[in-house]
Amino acid sequence: MAGVLFEDIFDVKDIDPDGKKFDRVSRLFCESESFKMDLILDVNSQMYPVELGDKFRLVVATTLREDGAPDDEYNPANTEPSRADQFEYVMYGKVYRIEGDDASDASRLAAYVSFGGLLMRLKGDPNNLHGFEVDSHVYLMMKKLAF
Amino acid sequence: MVKEQFREADVAKKISHVTFGMMNSQQMQQVSHMHVVSKNLYNQDGSRKPVINGVLDHRMGTSDKENSCESCGKGLVDCIGHYGYVDLELPVFHIGYFRTTITLLQMICKRCSNILLHPADKKNYLDALKRQGMTYLQKKGMKKKIHEKCRKVTKCVHCGEYNGMTKKCGMLKIIHDCYKPGRRGGEQIIAEFVGSFENAKKHNGEIEPLLNKVQEILNPLVVLNLFKKIKDEDVPLLMMNPNVGRPEDMILTRIVVPPICIRPSVVSDLKSGTNEDDITMKFTEIIFLNDVIQKHRASGAKMQMIMEDWDFLQLQVALLYNSETSGIPLHMQPKKASRGFVQRLKGKQGRFRGNLSGKRVDFSGRTVISPDPNMRIDQVAVPVLIAKILTYPERVTAANIKLMRQLVLNGADTHPGANFLQQRGNNIKRFLKYGDREKMASSLRFGDIIERHMMDDDVILFNRQPSLHKLSIQAFYAKIMPHRTFRFNECCCNPFNADFDGDEMNLHLPQTEEAKAEAITLMGSKSNIITPRNGEPLIAAIQDFITGAYLITQKDVFFDRSRACQLVSSMLSAKDEKTRIDLPHPAIYKPCKLWTGKQIFSLLIRPNKHSPVKANLRTKGKNYTVGEDLCYNDSFIVVRNSQLLCGAMDKGTLGSGSKANIFYVILRDYGEIYAADALSRLAKLCPAYLSNRGFSIGIGDVTPQAGLIMAKNQLLDDGYTMCDGYIRDLEDGKLQTQPGCSEEETLEAMILRELSVIRDHAGKACLRELHKSNSPLTMAICGSKGSFINISQMIACVGQQAISGHRVPNGFEDRALPHFERHSKDPAARGFVANSFYSGLTPTEFFFHTMAGREGLVDTAVKTAETGYMQRRLVKSLEDLCLQYDMTVRTSVGEVVQFVYGADNLDPAAMEGKEKPMEFHRVLDHIRATTMDTYREEPSLDGPLLLSTTQHLLSKAPWTNCSKDFIQEIVDFIKKTANKITQLREEFSGGAQNETPKVIYELERVSQSQLEKFLECCHDKFMRAQIEPGTAVGAVCAQSIGEPGTQMTLKTFHFAGVASMNITLGVPRIKEIINASKNISTPIITAQLDVETDAEFARVVKGRIEKTTLGEVSEYIEEVYIADDCFILVRLDLDRIKLLKLEVNADTIKHSICTSKLGVKFQDIEIHTDSVLTVSARETSKSSMYYILQNLKKMLPSVMIKGITSVTRAVIHFDEKKGDNSYKLLVEGDNLQAVIATKGVKGTHSTSNNTYEVMKTLGIEAARTTIMNEIIYTMVNHGMSIDIRHVMLLADLMTFKGEVLGITRFGLAKMKESVLMLASFEKTADHLFEASYYGQTDTINGVSECIIMGIPMSIGTGLFKLLYQYPF
Repeated sequence: MAGVLFEDIFDVKDIDPDGKKFDRVSRLFCESESFKMDLILDVNSQMYPVELGDKFRLVVATTLREDGAPDDEYNPANTEPSRADQFEYVMYGKVYRIEGDDASDASRLAAYVSFGGLLMRLKGDPNNLHGFEVDSHVYLMMKKLAF
Repeated sequence: MVKEQFREADVAKKISHVTFGMMNSQQMQQVSHMHVVSKNLYNQDGSRKPVINGVLDHRMGTSDKENSCESCGKGLVDCIGHYGYVDLELPVFHIGYFRTTITLLQMICKRCSNILLHPADKKNYLDALKRQGMTYLQKKGMKKKIHEKCRKVTKCVHCGEYNGMTKKCGMLKIIHDCYKPGRRGGEQIIAEFVGSFENAKKHNGEIEPLLNKVQEILNPLVVLNLFKKIKDEDVPLLMMNPNVGRPEDMILTRIVVPPICIRPSVVSDLKSGTNEDDITMKFTEIIFLNDVIQKHRASGAKMQMIMEDWDFLQLQVALLYNSETSGIPLHMQPKKASRGFVQRLKGKQGRFRGNLSGKRVDFSGRTVISPDPNMRIDQVAVPVLIAKILTYPERVTAANIKLMRQLVLNGADTHPGANFLQQRGNNIKRFLKYGDREKMASSLRFGDIIERHMMDDDVILFNRQPSLHKLSIQAFYAKIMPHRTFRFNECCCNPFNADFDGDEMNLHLPQTEEAKAEAITLMGSKSNIITPRNGEPLIAAIQDFITGAYLITQKDVFFDRSRACQLVSSMLSAKDEKTRIDLPHPAIYKPCKLWTGKQIFSLLIRPNKHSPVKANLRTKGKNYTVGEDLCYNDSFIVVRNSQLLCGAMDKGTLGSGSKANIFYVILRDYGEIYAADALSRLAKLCPAYLSNRGFSIGIGDVTPQAGLIMAKNQLLDDGYTMCDGYIRDLEDGKLQTQPGCSEEETLEAMILRELSVIRDHAGKACLRELHKSNSPLTMAICGSKGSFINISQMIACVGQQAISGHRVPNGFEDRALPHFERHSKDPAARGFVANSFYSGLTPTEFFFHTMAGREGLVDTAVKTAETGYMQRRLVKSLEDLCLQYDMTVRTSVGEVVQFVYGADNLDPAAMEGKEKPMEFHRVLDHIRATTMDTYREEPSLDGPLLLSTTQHLLSKAPWTNCSKDFIQEIVDFIKKTANKITQLREEFSGGAQNETPKVIYELERVSQSQLEKFLECCHDKFMRAQIEPGTAVGAVCAQSIGEPGTQMTLKTFHFAGVASMNITLGVPRIKEIINASKNISTPIITAQLDVETDAEFARVVKGRIEKTTLGEVSEYIEEVYIADDCFILVRLDLDRIKLLKLEVNADTIKHSICTSKLGVKFQDIEIHTDSVLTVSARETSKSSMYYILQNLKKMLPSVMIKGITSVTRAVIHFDEKKGDNSYKLLVEGDNLQAVIATKGVKGTHSTSNNTYEVMKTLGIEAARTTIMNEIIYTMVNHGMSIDIRHVMLLADLMTFKGEVLGITRFGLAKMKESVLMLASFEKTADHLFEASYYGQTDTINGVSECIIMGIPMSIGTGLFKLLYQYPF
């Protein structure tokens, strides 16, 4: 698929470990199944409640259009079918920082994305973060998997 | 035709200097128009005409509108007044020169009037005087020297006359004590003199006993004759200027009568007749006395009568000059107090300070202020009523004639109108309220001047008193609005320190285009967002704006499209009316489209993609926890390219006093206009959001829940138990005392600490227990208003009430209030308030609370007066320091105070880092972020390449004339970055065997062009930070130090590491430092030790320094009487000596006793054993053995046996910061020299906090450093930051003369030359009289003098002059 930067299935390991600080936002701590990536993600829990132990498919893409062409400006009149139709929860944000966390495990990179203040940190092998570029806009799409 | 440009000194003559001097009788007559002889004021025929040759004769001018001056024929407004003169029957002393007259008499022979100097000395002094360009200070010093020399000469070298002491005797009398018996060489003269009374003695026996008390009275007549005889060549030796005065001019034989306009007679409405000025009345009295003396002389009245009249005349003349003359005999005391000339000049309302240095102005207004967030930050809403009165003279031109016509038509009563019209070519002003306005409008010609109403966007000056710093008066654009108050954006409250509880402010309307332009560029509120005190922003979001921004940037704030658009549109008014807004992509697409608050907030920084503002900021917030961006409180703020990516905005990122402020970042990187616009948008967005969301406080917000009550009770219980434990320990004597404290003091300190902790912990408990929707809590968290302590006081516990830093003292016998047990030490009895404001205080608690409250009120009242005076002194002494074109800081007369301002020539207002011109890290991040897209394709530089490229670039063109320090700073920073890059690359590529992933190059990416941009930016910022020539660095320095003084709470004491060692802080300390007091209240010497880690060693050195008396080390001192002898037995406590590590033994003690001032001889003391000494007494002729023994017994315990006299105490200080058992000594007291000389003290690392002491021991440079360190230390303790450059300048000013000069009237007199400046400061009359004695010339360079003379000063834009005169 064109424009997809990352895709994997995540397990929710923990929710709000430091206490629920915000009414409508929860912080999920997840781990991916195939690439063993660490994920920290803020989601609007009012719109999209997530439970501990939930599994979801997560896709990070640069565009919503199936053909992979960039969609720059926000156009509220746009009602064309898009990739988002297959997902339950879609956010738009910006990669603003890529950093090697010099703390514990070396050779793992972390990409930080802010969806209007809702943060995501995707951490893992640098090869999996190949397409991430600072200042690029990305879409995050999520769909819970039923088991 | 064009409005004429402003020209300096548009007058025929320009004042180049002012010379002070004394007028002689001839000159008085020359300046006068008439001789005043009549004591009557008005003719008695009821005609209300002043008497000819009377004091109110109209030849001296006029004081009413009806009569014009008879000398010049002009009316009240135009006549400048003319002098008259009064001839005194007998000469009198001039009260202002009285003291000088005495010193002069002491310098001359009382017979031949020759100066009492030996010819050799005289020649020396005359030679010295030939040296040109003696300063005022040198002249004063020289006079003092000559005077000293003359006083010692008793016999005149010229005529051999015996000269005794000349001194004041009673009021305005001088006696010459030339017949004082017992003077060597004088016997013969006295004998001769006494002999001359032989005959008289025969007839009057009473004379004899008085003969040896005879003194000669020097009455004004005698003195006048003596002074007249002084030779012309001697006059310079008296340090007088022969061109402007001779000694005899100090004795009055004639007085000038001032013009009538300065002493107007007011026709009284209430009673018939007139009210006359004090001066007029004094003159009538003087003339009356003159007449009396004349009559008595003519009629040959008794000598006593004439002498009495003379005394009285003398007094009246003295009162004319100075009505506060002291020492007037009771029967002569004036009935009612009058105002003499001196009183007219001196004081705050006097001529100097009230009329010459500060004047009343036209075109100004004053009214109550109120807030208006819809105003831009550079706007003030002016009521129409005011706008119609304040006018601006606008010249009619082709461009504005249409508007001007309309204004004339509108007239004076309709708002955009005009009040006056002045046609070109004539000077007649026509009032536009009446008359044919249509005709006037149609006949308007180019060049006419229209005094139009104030209109929108006129530049105005806005000011609030007290004007403590330059930001207290700023230029704004007017916005004419209905209603009656001045309204401005709340963001601008800070610089004025204004609130809206009824404050009033002043407004001025500049009257020329030049004034307008200069005002808006130099004083404009947009140009003064940052304070020059430390470069922090002062105009910033406050209160509700912060709360609003905090709430809107919370993580869980979402808006649907309609709400988002509504919020965005609330920003769009006034200047932003037509601003295009690019609505970003919604942060959440599905399940429904939602925008977050942070996205909306980002729009106010950068509303659309055409806006150039790309602000970058990365900083910790107020409630930051861990994990940088991922802080769970969402309190790590990241703004990237003007997008708020994470973190909630709070006080630190929006408010004043922080350089991590987002508006500060915009201001520094994109300029004031963008910062001001963003701030204006914030002021509209936040209230819009807040009023829609709702933010209020109710009783529920301060009602504690069960959990909180429990937590509080737990805290109280624990605290009380601890306190009880301490009290019990004290009772049992088990309490471990703190160093240098008694047991009681230790207990107090420990209990106070315990109890103050309770309130803080209660505050933390509140934060933990209260729901996050609690409004006070929200405000405390975001920093908009209040603190956790305030919340804790409302909800949980008010806490310990402290009175001057201690628990409540006893108000009754052994207890604070009669409700408690005597000697009770438990918390409640000493002012601990366990209740909250919600639960209510018990009566005793309430009383304690009022006590602390009262202390606060008293402090504020005392503080305002104190700091106000301090500010005035600072400003007066620093006002004319100015940065010259050669980049030196000089005084008005050109003395260099600093060769390079602040040692680096940088402007404190332009410091982005902490006293550094740049925050490299932020700038590099900023360059990276903004140019990311542009240089996407360029390769990322690796570490070594980055460094070498930098060094290559820095060696080239624009950098060659930059300071080495700055270049080194850049290189150091780049080196750090390069190392990081190298390290990262190694880490990530080395670990993986396969090829390095591309993403690695994204880390710390710096490309060639980015580096160039970065260095360019560095250079730009550095050049912009250079201070400009002409800057009034002195005035800014004075304000920067004085203004924070007003905000200091009068917290006086503080523990310097050791609980017992208090040092004065706050305003009193600042005062001490700048006064250069010799005896400061808490002198402390910090002594480093040769061996730092050894506590034993420290104790030994302490023993050497601390004052130890014999009493302290002896077991007992008692009298012993045995059959054949009696003595005092001293038994030393050897254990104690050993314990204290004192280096004393019986021998040294013997020596100490002998050298002390007890009069004990060496052989009187006998050492029996190591611990026993006997001191025997010796009978003298004056006193018996017994009394001497008693006296010895009393005095012996206080004999000092070891240490330094001036040291009261030394405390060993355990330095926790340095870790590993580092000790130093804190020595209370003076004598740094002795402490440095003590064995074991590291002399090179010891210092005192007493500037005078340091100057004495280590020199002036060390004193300068001490002044700087002490000021900074005090300020930091109160949480104020002041740029080091300001403190440096103050310290330099205090020391540049080579001695430490205080910022007081004494120090100031040694720093400044100008008489006018000194006179406008303090002791007005003294300075003026002194100056006229010396014939001092004031060259009018300084600020004060220029203001007084109305000349533009050579500071700021007045520093340069155009040499080329354009031929007009």
